[in-house]
This record gives sequence, structure tokens and C-alpha cells, in this order.
Amino acid sequence: MIYAQEFVPKPAEIADVRQMTPIEKLFRLRFLNDEFERSFRYMPGQFVQLSVYGVGETTISICRSQTRPGPLELLVRRVGRVTNALHGLKEGDVVGIRGPFGNWFPMEDMEGSDVLLVAGGLGMAPLRGVLQYVLDRREKYGNVNLLYGVKSYEETLFKEEVLEPFERDSGFESFISFEKDDPFYEDLMRRHPDRLRKGVVTALFELVDRYLDPKNTYAVVCGPPVMYRFVMRELDRRGFSPRRVYVTLERRMRCGVGKCGHCIIGGATSITYVCKDGPVFSYFDILSIRGAI
Amino acid sequence: MLYLKIVKEDLPKLFGALRRFGEIHGPVRMGRFYAFREVSSVDEMSLDYTRTMIPPKKYFTRPRERILRVSRERGYELVGEGPRRLVLFGLHACDINAIKITDSIYIDEYPDPYYSERRRNALLVGVSCLPDEECFCRSMGTDYAHDGFDLFLHEVGDSYLIRVATGRGEEALEGADFLRKPEREDFVRLAEFERRRARMFKKELLASHLPDVVDSLHDSESWKEFVNRCLACGSCNLVCPTCRCYEVSESLNVSLKEGFRERRWDSCFLRSHALVAGGLNFRPTRLDRFVHRYNCKSGINRATGLPYCVGCGRCTVFCPADIDHVEVINAIWGVVR
Ligand SMILES: Cc1cc2nc3c(=O)[nH]c(=O)nc-3n(C[C@H](O)[C@H](O)[C@H](O)COP(=O)(O)OP(=O)(O)OC[C@H]3O[C@@H](n4cnc5c(N)ncnc54)[C@H](O)[C@@H]3O)c2cc1C
Ligand code: SF4
Ligand code: SF4
Ligand code: FES
Repeated sequence: MIYAQEFVPKPAEIADVRQMTPIEKLFRLRFLNDEFERSFRYMPGQFVQLSVYGVGETTISICRSQTRPGPLELLVRRVGRVTNALHGLKEGDVVGIRGPFGNWFPMEDMEGSDVLLVAGGLGMAPLRGVLQYVLDRREKYGNVNLLYGVKSYEETLFKEEVLEPFERDSGFESFISFEKDDPFYEDLMRRHPDRLRKGVVTALFELVDRYLDPKNTYAVVCGPPVMYRFVMRELDRRGFSPRRVYVTLERRMRCGVGKCGHCIIGGATSITYVCKDGPVFSYFDILSIRGAI
Repeated sequence: MLYLKIVKEDLPKLFGALRRFGEIHGPVRMGRFYAFREVSSVDEMSLDYTRTMIPPKKYFTRPRERILRVSRERGYELVGEGPRRLVLFGLHACDINAIKITDSIYIDEYPDPYYSERRRNALLVGVSCLPDEECFCRSMGTDYAHDGFDLFLHEVGDSYLIRVATGRGEEALEGADFLRKPEREDFVRLAEFERRRARMFKKELLASHLPDVVDSLHDSESWKEFVNRCLACGSCNLVCPTCRCYEVSESLNVSLKEGFRERRWDSCFLRSHALVAGGLNFRPTRLDRFVHRYNCKSGINRATGLPYCVGCGRCTVFCPADIDHVEVINAIWGVVR
């Protein structure tokens, strides 16, 4: 028998598309096969291989938590062949999905602890799943703080969700850094000087310090590769154990299941596939996998 | 293990028996080199060959192949392939060990449908060999195949001693009344052969700490002199029996309604191998890519406990820049110079 569960993309209909920023859209997808739709289980941090018929396939994180009823959601930045084609599709069009693949953030281990989310740009997509998961099981976790670094208001992802704490009690605190001159954030910073900074995401650490208990916190980090080294330094300085800091890595991926070899990292003693040994790694793992960050 | 014996004159009979299983492919001389090809008689094969240029992996993952059919209406489906039963006749121990490694990757918790199906339909018949000056399988512990084959033929004088490793191998020999039970003498000859063979290896790679050495000396200056010669052509990847990276592309035919997703062998020496969106490249320089390949080849495969390099010598023999795998690692290690 040919075993092709992970190999052949399953058709899924675009239930809804939302323009989130000038270059990013949120796609809500429903599998055409109801039984498959019901059996499709995932955890924050996992990804799918998304196909546009006749164009190709690309790797996208699942950006919502299954603790919330509703369809699969993918936030896609338009950068190349497949993502451009995808941005041209509309409600009712059908795409292919393989997955979910990869490991996930240790949501159960994190129970009983505070949670610090550190996101840079598109890194907010996979972390949104973590945030939703934690908020949906709110009583199981301690303080939840989000540090989010963006360029401007326009480029901010999931605006209502990340700005909600500025309006009402929403179960977590939000700290935002912005790089460009931006009237919206400059105004918000005037009203909440202890919540916003102009600059990069690491500028937010001093603001969150008084809410942080590093010994009892899990940090979850996602952003562009350059961000990791600087964020790790801040976490290190505050005494975070490398075993309680988690990141998700991006690599070129083709198969998603440990065959095509593109996502291999590590030296001879630590050969690791980001697609199946990751994409989530603890900072401790990363210290022993050469070339991870 | 079941042991049988066949006198050399009877090889055509064995050939005939195996033919019942499927097409027979074996090593054939092609000019200066050898290649696995379909053969219709024992005489077409050169069973005393050294190494083929392209390893037997070509039977299980093709240099270029269509993996999915795509239709704008119907989506994706596997490209059907009629089962094609193959006997790969005359594999060397290093290539059998290499297949164990590719098996561990392609037939794991997510079995590749094409690879697994072709593998299931292939009967592997090994044959003993003598090393040339580029073979170093002995250093890698891959000069003998303990398993991973169905039948293995060891030359002992005017006969072959056959190791029958699988039930399927035994089944393929059913009714082969030309096979005998080996005698003590034959095992003595086998031991002599192995001793003589062991003494013939000229290349040596000190492999006991291979992963640690290559990993910890990744910033050694010694890499540079080799990297400067390397053309980044990727030939070493294509001829390596354990290299299995592939790249994927998809296109529609002129109707713009139907098309295929294809994969083809890829090489970690190519710039695009670790490139991601935004032009960020995790291995931007030739040095990064060169060191990466040696790291990859020097690791230990978790499933088989074997090194990823089986010491076949292909990458050295077919490198247009004369870069010698063993010399590189020994230089990094400080064994040479
Ligand atoms: C685990 C993981 C999770 C991810 N999650 C998300 C997500 O949630 N949302 C999201 O938008 N993205 C995500 N990505 C990133 C996404 O997979 C890439 O952006 C993807 O490559 C885009 O595919 P594409 O076919 O549109 O682009 P491609 O056509 O592959 O091109 C993308 C860019 O890659 C470079 N490139 C690729 N191939 C070549 C080549 N042959 N020659 C030169 N340059 C080349 C170019 O810089 C090009 O602009 C994730 C990646 C990983 C690994
Ligand atoms: S075959 Fe030789 S020249 Fe070509 S990439 Fe390999 S080492 Fe470099
Ligand atoms: S690295 Fe070279 S010697 Fe080792 S298995 Fe590959 S081709 Fe053979
Ligand atoms: S994406 Fe193919 S091996 Fe990881």
C-alpha cells in the first residue's frame, strides 16, 4: 500500500481572506473533507506546507490555537513565487495543505509559570497561537507579558489583539517598540510611557523588568534571525535558564518531513532537521547545535 | 544466516533463478567507468568492478522525477507507477550500507511513497570486492555488510559462498538445485580472502572521533586551501551514495490546467541550498558550504549507528578539482602535514 498521508496536499477552501498589512494577509481555511477537518489537530508552533495549485509549496506557521473554535488560520507575507500567487487568491478558491508538521512549544511544561512572549515582525504569527492558548487556559498560567517589536502601526500584525490591553483587562500586558516615526504609536506612548518605546524590541526589557520573575518564567521568542542573539543576551542577563527559553527557527524547507535535507543545521555531532526536530528549540538545544542562531 | 555455495560456472543458472523475481541490473563497464544497467546475462556484467560513478540510489530516488500530478480542478495526486521488480546484482558492501542510511531517511515515520515502494520491490544481491587506492570503507566500518541485503556472494576461489540474509532471498533461490552446502574449506577461504582484502587498503581515515573532530575544528585554517580549489560544482554530492537532498519545483503544461510537481537531486554546494526569503542565506560562502558537507558526511546516522560517509571514494575519484575526502579530513585533524 502506498502510504502518502504526509505526502499529498489535502484540498482546503479559503473561507476568508483579510488584508492585515500592505504585505501580509490572513487566510482562514477549511478542508473540503469534513472528516479530515475534524481530525486535523495542531499545537502552537507547528507549521503546514501550503500549496498553490500549479505554482508550488511553501512553509507557513499555524497562527492560531486550536483551543479556539474556528478554521485553520495562516498569516502569509508576500515575498516570492508561491506567496505572491496565494495573495492573488480569494474566498472560495482551493489550496493544498500538508501537515501539521514539526514540534510545538511546551505548553504543558509552562503551566504554573509566568509567560514572556518576545516577537519581532512576522514572528508574531506563530506566537499568536501561544498567546491564544495561554489566554484560553488562563487559570493555568501566571503573568503573561508580550514584547512586540514592529516598524510602524501600519505593519503591526493582529492589531486589535495586541492592542487590547491598552483598552481593557485582557489577561496579559502588551509592550510595543516601533522603529519609524509613527503618529499612532507616538500618541499611545504619550498615554502609556511605561508600555512603549521607540527602537528595537530589546528596548522593552527595562519596561517589563518589574513585572518579571525570571526564575519562574518561560520565554518564547520568535522573530528575524538577527533578533535572537540580542534577545538571548537580555534574557541571559536577567538569569533566565536556557531550558526555559524557546525559539522557533526558519530555514529553507521543501519536504517538511526530514527528507529533502534543506533545513539541516548543526555540526557533525549535532545534525538536526528544523522541520522534524524543530522548528521549536530551547535555547539550551541551540547552544549545542552549531549554526542554529 | 544461511550459507550456500555456487560454483562460478553455475552463475548463469543463478541469474536465471533471480530473473523470476524481476529485471536484473548489474555493474556494466561503460568506457573508463562502470554503471548499473539492466543486463540480460552474467557475461554483460563486470563483477570485479571497482565502483560505479552514480550509486545505486538512482533506483530509489531518481535524479529527476515527477512526484505529484496537479490539476487546477482536482488538486494533487500521486503519480501512479506500476510496480517494477528489480534485482540489483553485484552491490558492494559500502553501497549496501549506504542504502541502509537512505532507507533510514526515506522510510522513517513519514515514509516516502516512491522510495518505499521501489525499495520493497528490489532484491539486493551483494558481491565481494577488492579495494583500489581510493577505497576507505574499512576506516568507516562499512567494508562488510552484516545486513541490509537479501543475498551476498563472496568469491572463494572457483566458487561463491552465498550468505542468505532474508526469507525473500531464500525464496528467490527456491528450486535452485545447483546450489550446494558449503564446506569448512570454503569458510577458511573466506577468512583468507577477508584477511588479504584487509591488508590491501591504502587509504586510512582515523574515524574513531570523526564527528567530534570535524565539528570542533570547524574554524580550522586548513579548510581554506581546499575550499580555494573547490569549484562548488556539486559533483561530490551527486555521486555520493548517502547524499539525498532534493529540490522541488512545480509547473503547469500549456493548457495551464494540469501539470506536475517534480523533484531533483540537489547539492549543498549550490548557493540556493540554504537561502530563505529576503535573500538571507544561512550558508552564504563557499567555505560555509564546504564545511557543512564535511560535517554532514562525518556525522553518525542515528538509526543505523553508521557514519554518513561509507568510504566508497566516489567523491574523490569524480572531483574535477582533485579534492580528496580523506586528505581533507586528515588535514583538518592534523594527521597529514
Ligand atoms: C517553520 C517556518 C515557518 C514559517 N512561517 C511563516 C509564516 O507564518 N508566514 C509567512 O509569511 N512566512 C513564513 N515562513 C517563511 C516562508 O516559508 C518563506 O517566506 C517562503 O520561502 C516564501 O515562499 P515563496 O515561494 O513565496 O518564496 P520564494 O519564491 O521561495 O522566494 C522567497 C525569497 O527567497 C529567496 N529565494 C528563494 N529561492 C531563490 C532562488 N532560487 N534564487 C534566489 N533567491 C531565492 C529570495 O530572496 C526570494 O525573495 C516560515 C518559514 C518556516 C521555515
Ligand atoms: S566535486 Fe570537488 S570541486 Fe565539485 S563541489 Fe565537490 S569538492 Fe568541490
Ligand atoms: S562522502 Fe565520498 S567517500 Fe564518503 S560515501 Fe560519499 S562519495 Fe563515498
Ligand atoms: S524540510 Fe526537508 S528535510 Fe526539513
